[in-house]
Amino acid sequence: MVQQAEQPSRVPDRRRGPLAGFRITDFCWMGVGALATRVLADFGAQVIRIEDRNRLDMPRRLPLYKDGDVRAYGEEDPDPDPDKGGMFNNYNRNKLGITLNMRDERGRKLARELIRRSDLLTENFAPGVMERWGLDEASVRQIQPDIIYARMSGFGHSGPQTEYRSYGPVVQAVCGLSHVSGLPGREPSGWGLSYMDNQAAYYNAAAMLAAIFARQRTGVGTDIDVSAVEAGIELLGPLLLDVTVNGRSTRNDQFPTGNRLEWPPAAPHGVYPSLGEDRWVAIAVFTEVEWQALVRAMGNPAWATEPPFATMDSRVANQDALDVHIGAWTATRDRHEVMELLQGFGVRAGAVQDAQDITERDPEMRRRNALFELDHPVIGTAMFEGVPFTSTGFAPHHWRSGPLLGEDNHWVLTSVLGLDPEEVDSLQAEGVLT
Amino acid sequence: MSAPYTGVRVLELAADPGGELLGHQFVNLGAEVVKLEPPGGVPSRHIGPAANGHDDPDHRLAYWYYNGGKASVVLDLHEAADRAVFERLLAEADVCISTVHPIELAELELDWHAVAAAHPRLIVVSATPFALDGPWARRRSCDLVGLATSGLLVTSGYDDHSIPPIRPGGDQAYHTTASFGHIAVALALIQRERSGQGCVIDLSMHESAGLTVELANPYWFYPKGLVKRQTCRHAQPVPTAPALFECMDGRYVYFALILADPKPWRALVEWMQSDDLAVDLDDPAFDDVEHRQANFGHIQDVVEVFFLLRDANSAYHEGQARGLPIGILNAPEDLLADEHLQERGFFVPVDEPDTPGVLHPGVPYRFSSLDTAPLAPAARLGADTERFVTRGWQHR
Repeated sequence: MVQQAEQPSRVPDRRRGPLAGFRITDFCWMGVGALATRVLADFGAQVIRIEDRNRLDMPRRLPLYKDGDVRAYGEEDPDPDPDKGGMFNNYNRNKLGITLNMRDERGRKLARELIRRSDLLTENFAPGVMERWGLDEASVRQIQPDIIYARMSGFGHSGPQTEYRSYGPVVQAVCGLSHVSGLPGREPSGWGLSYMDNQAAYYNAAAMLAAIFARQRTGVGTDIDVSAVEAGIELLGPLLLDVTVNGRSTRNDQFPTGNRLEWPPAAPHGVYPSLGEDRWVAIAVFTEVEWQALVRAMGNPAWATEPPFATMDSRVANQDALDVHIGAWTATRDRHEVMELLQGFGVRAGAVQDAQDITERDPEMRRRNALFELDHPVIGTAMFEGVPFTSTGFAPHHWRSGPLLGEDNHWVLTSVLGLDPEEVDSLQAEGVLT
Repeated sequence: MSAPYTGVRVLELAADPGGELLGHQFVNLGAEVVKLEPPGGVPSRHIGPAANGHDDPDHRLAYWYYNGGKASVVLDLHEAADRAVFERLLAEADVCISTVHPIELAELELDWHAVAAAHPRLIVVSATPFALDGPWARRRSCDLVGLATSGLLVTSGYDDHSIPPIRPGGDQAYHTTASFGHIAVALALIQRERSGQGCVIDLSMHESAGLTVELANPYWFYPKGLVKRQTCRHAQPVPTAPALFECMDGRYVYFALILADPKPWRALVEWMQSDDLAVDLDDPAFDDVEHRQANFGHIQDVVEVFFLLRDANSAYHEGQARGLPIGILNAPEDLLADEHLQERGFFVPVDEPDTPGVLHPGVPYRFSSLDTAPLAPAARLGADTERFVTRGWQHR
């Protein structure tokens, strides 16, 4: 049975923000799509997620449960409670959720009716899924000529590898971001996260917002094709031009350079051990003034005045020896104390913080609601990731945690599509709503 | 067709890769971007490799990468006359991108809120290490320190924890800031179409990277788990199997062996069988997920050998043809030969100063009914100073 929004605070109301009044029919799922539309929902858009009870969105299944045991994300429950998943909650706050059976023509008709009333249509399925439902670009534009149709994928919607399967780590590998990360002379350390799920989401969100801005001014919609691999290539940075202009090779035992910089010259520039198990502090010195400040902060040790460390060039040349000295100094100190001390002297230094530090200790993350809390009927109060900026002109409107599965079936079908409550009940009974 | 930001005037006061990438993205989508540079030029004109045979501010690759298509206007904001030019340009700008640190803002007697009050339609986006005010505002940062404090760095490195966390490449603390900056400015432009009012956006690099950690934060929010770095794969609260496989040619592929899902398992075994390299994995006993899990070490060994006996490119393309989410670890130089990128025309030649046909990555967004700007070369230092000083935005 579908749970409905019973608490008054969960019933959709007027949204606030730059995107208030914009409606999005949102077929996105997994990480990239959900994150891309999250920022639109945060800033006022009415995002209606289309879900399928028989093909649960993976973040609903991932075993990140409050008060649950700590396990690998692959160790799902055999029959997971779709409303308990923390990843889904984090990705889908401020959105509405309906469960539509797209294998049934009546379900597809309801989707078309929603699209007709929408400003944006979004999806990040494998290629061909939307086409199978009759929602190719041309058909969608017949339903709603001015719509913005955002299609998010790993490889883009043209070219021989369009159908290649990808998720964050595959995109990071293919675009080059994994290869450029690691210590010289050994396998890449790459990325400990689906960085390109996040970045592809940001690129897609920016493209959708640019298209919304253009539509405000011209009245014309557009299809959008963003390839995560291509976004990842843009993120490689100037190294790419060293390859295309100077013919540089990056396959050798000098590259990548770990925590040291190829340029500009900076030494020390590294991550050093501190008190505690697997605790570290990052220190970076780019100028002579910063070096002198670091030496003072360390109490003017004799070694620091020796010739190998006299200039930036000599420090760069003698980084191995320099790092031993710096590491010996940091190893007996707390990482946050080192950060406080060095920052007090004007030296770039940062404790290597983890999620507990970010949530419980860091004075910045909660100050401006980059992290904030919302209640959820099944999960209870939970922490959420917000946005990393404030504006004097607008703010995120966090009105509700993630939708329960099918929570907004009644509201959307009656308030948006104008159906009678009885019609909705029979659609539910007949399996058109799953 | 026109580009989304056609007619949008952007004044860029950016000295780091985050602010420069943000301006670049606005150029790509049609904005007119004027880059204000101090006498001598911004840092990207002075650091890193230059084009072959050159060693001057007009040929630095870091500048070319981020600044193509921007006008270059040199102003000394400490000088009254130049400051007046700056004020005139601000008055008719739509967006001002700033990476000026709060300490330097104070030295310049520049207060973005006062600027916004004087220019109500202006959108200012200030990207700084720790926002404009608050307890850490005066602190100094950089890409490494930004990744460290944000919680991103701790997720990345090697299984061997005697090795510190390793910074992933490419200035990504700055780049995440650029991404959120783009979103924030686009929201402000949309808002301004409705209200006529600009705003000041106070964007933090620390927070940008801190919200780009994927599993790490929710693992702490929910089951109170802390993820631990593992070589070139997801940091997780418990150790998982290696996902990096070395191939015959010394290159690597990324492939996460997911045992629980029968479909990719069958696809993998069929692939191995076709090369007579399945060893005993086609034994029906392995159809049972519990048997697979109990013999995980053995499976991993057999798969390692399988990849060692083929080259990375064939492993990538054949694995993908069989529906497996496998990725080759391309080096940047490999990308130029990628037939998919070639067919999409992704890399675009640009005639940079004294260097024709420099291949740049193309614009990573494609629109059916909107243009993007053709890639344009980087300006020589101060090339546009005179016309902007004399005629401002009306220079054309």
